Amino acid sequence: MEPAEVEFLAEKELVTIVPNFSLDRIHLIGGDLGPFNPGLPVEVPVWLAISLKQRQKCRVIAPEWMDVGKLEEIRDQERKENTFTRMPSPYYMELTKLLLNYASDNIPKADEIRTLVKDTWDTRIAKLRLSADSFVRQQEVHAKLDNLTLMEINTTGTFLTQALDHMYKLRTNLQPGETAHSQDF
Amino acid sequence: MSEAYFPVGPGLGLEESFLSLDDILMSQEKLPGRAETRLPRLGFALGQGTGAGDAITEGSKLEFPLWLAKGLHDSKRRIISVELPNIYKEAWRTVLSADASVVDLHKMGPYYYGFGSQLLNFDNPENPEIAQAILQTFISRFRRIMDSSQNAYNEDTSALVARLDELERALFQAGQKELNDFQSWEKGQASQITASSLVQNYGKRKFTEVDG
Repeated sequence: MEPAEVEFLAEKELVTIVPNFSLDRIHLIGGDLGPFNPGLPVEVPVWLAISLKQRQKCRVIAPEWMDVGKLEEIRDQERKENTFTRMPSPYYMELTKLLLNYASDNIPKADEIRTLVKDTWDTRIAKLRLSADSFVRQQEVHAKLDNLTLMEINTTGTFLTQALDHMYKLRTNLQPGETAHSQDF
Repeated sequence: MSEAYFPVGPGLGLEESFLSLDDILMSQEKLPGRAETRLPRLGFALGQGTGAGDAITEGSKLEFPLWLAKGLHDSKRRIISVELPNIYKEAWRTVLSADASVVDLHKMGPYYYGFGSQLLNFDNPENPEIAQAILQTFISRFRRIMDSSQNAYNEDTSALVARLDELERALFQAGQKELNDFQSWEKGQASQITASSLVQNYGKRKFTEVDG
């Protein structure tokens, strides 16, 4: 999977916008949206919010967690703990990038938010490397990764699974007799 | 173009993959050994003697490609005996267990893991030690490959991969691809649509001319 596909999934997340036009309920194949009334907040998927924002038809309201105070707390918590902490959204990285790129004028302290999220990301990736290394060293075969997000899994997943695949084969070499010689005449 | 090309990968076990080009190259590598019986009319083929009719005498030292050694090896009928290449012997195993990351596996290999796994077919008494050494080598080199492949962004990686075995190089490439994909997404390059490299290289005719 490519990062763009992860972003595609992230665009299904709902975000609140304040439209400046009026429109009846629209019936999309994935569900109904609206009605849209000027000045009244309404929940829409991110892809629609970005499209409307680009056409200057709405104002985007940042998600609750996209706030300097909360993100500082999350970053500090992430640095303090050895395991992965729970992220405010399963798509925090993608949503930050999308909303800050297209609607930074609606989000207060956009620069600080960008830095905080990037810091959290870097901490988590470093932690992911560390735990992948100890996973390999101890020759573990299973792991539980509840708090990892899809984007994080996607940036080291292929590498790690490929390495584990090699390790599995090298380890089965240690048990002769299991694999019978298929070409023994 | 590379996305739709699915080559057969190396087998990396007791049996190699039949159609894997990597495995074919790996099984070309030479293996020291000794003829246990007289091999008539094979002197020329195995690089001993000059005449076409020369025989290989019993006990002469030879070098076989791995595929041939595998074919001639039989636990009941002793045609040839096979010795371990240096890198899999006790001395090198000790070096590898001390610190595997200092060893230049490209020079010693370049198919250290694949060739080593294949060596287990020859019923050597040291087989368990060899298998263990190969696994431990991979484990102790893992961190370094991961770190160098996922930190080196947009720089010359030839120095990093110079000492890696072919299997490790493939792994390094996988790590690099993930890193580069993520970085280009983060910079917003992923959302730009570019012409396929196939179309860009197709410079002979312009599409307008084709229409007219």
